[in-house]
Amino acid sequence: MNELIILITGIVGATLTFYVSEQLKQGPVRSSALLSLIIGLFFYFFPELFNDYLTKNIPLVFIGASFIGMVSAKVKINYLSLAIAGCLFSIIYLNKSDFFDGYGGALGAMAFIALLTIMVIVKMFYRKKQKNSTHK
Amino acid sequence: MQKRKNKTNRFFGATAFLLIPFVFLAITVKENIESKDTAAICLMVAIALIILFGYKYLNLHKEEHAYHKIAIALWVPIGAVTCYFLNIYGGLGVVLAAAITGVVASFLPSLNKQSVYLKALPSPIYCGAFVGMSSAVIAPSIGFIVAAGILAGVLYLLSKNLFHQIGGKLGTLAFGGVIIVSLISWLIS
Repeated sequence: MNELIILITGIVGATLTFYVSEQLKQGPVRSSALLSLIIGLFFYFFPELFNDYLTKNIPLVFIGASFIGMVSAKVKINYLSLAIAGCLFSIIYLNKSDFFDGYGGALGAMAFIALLTIMVIVKMFYRKKQKNSTHK
Repeated sequence: MQKRKNKTNRFFGATAFLLIPFVFLAITVKENIESKDTAAICLMVAIALIILFGYKYLNLHKEEHAYHKIAIALWVPIGAVTCYFLNIYGGLGVVLAAAITGVVASFLPSLNKQSVYLKALPSPIYCGAFVGMSSAVIAPSIGFIVAAGILAGVLYLLSKNLFHQIGGKLGTLAFGGVIIVSLISWLIS
């Protein structure tokens, strides 16, 4: 159950940040920071609401996934791709090495890896689709 | 000639940049081999291969190779120190410390909407905040954070047109700064 909540947090973090940044025109930094501040404050004031694992990890996963949502709309990425990238971020987070605990920027590196991986997969998918349609 | 120089700079810059996530993936694979987690090993190797072979199909860089101004990159260590203070001395924790630093930075352009300089500040400050998210175990002193912040600032300065507007870029730069300074301090000690 904890893992499922972490996966959902990753998806929400990435897509919501992109929405606030692009649709509400708040820009990537304010969007990521403000949403993370809201989540951080919620768990700061209500630490008993969830179990210890989720209270500790939801804010971290949310801010990490929000870095994915900082991507510009100019890159031509859709909400589904962002959601999958957020999900992949959570999977990487759950399997990451303890070696990187406490290293600043590790969440950003994970977000970068997740986003780049999904962007490559989407690109390959469309290339294949395009090739197939030209052959028909 | 200039076009060729730009292409060479872009190639070496992007390769150096990509080394940072590959270091992350390599150490994660190594740790998972030790814990014999086959699924995690396969996932990390698959991700590394996808990025390695598929990355060239993405157009993520601007044609011209340019640098950020030093006066802008200077805000990376400032953001790092601010976040570190809020985290370690303020006791707010990494998420609140980085988020507060980022929110304050995001409102700086509102001080003077005509200023191009103020408009450029939120990104380097937020990049610095990621450096400042380091724990007291990894970054035992403010000197460490200043050094990692300066290094991340240099990487920020050099990577202006690389991975342009890609999410996670700022965090990757911060991570690069922190691991390099960690490595240097480990070698010295």
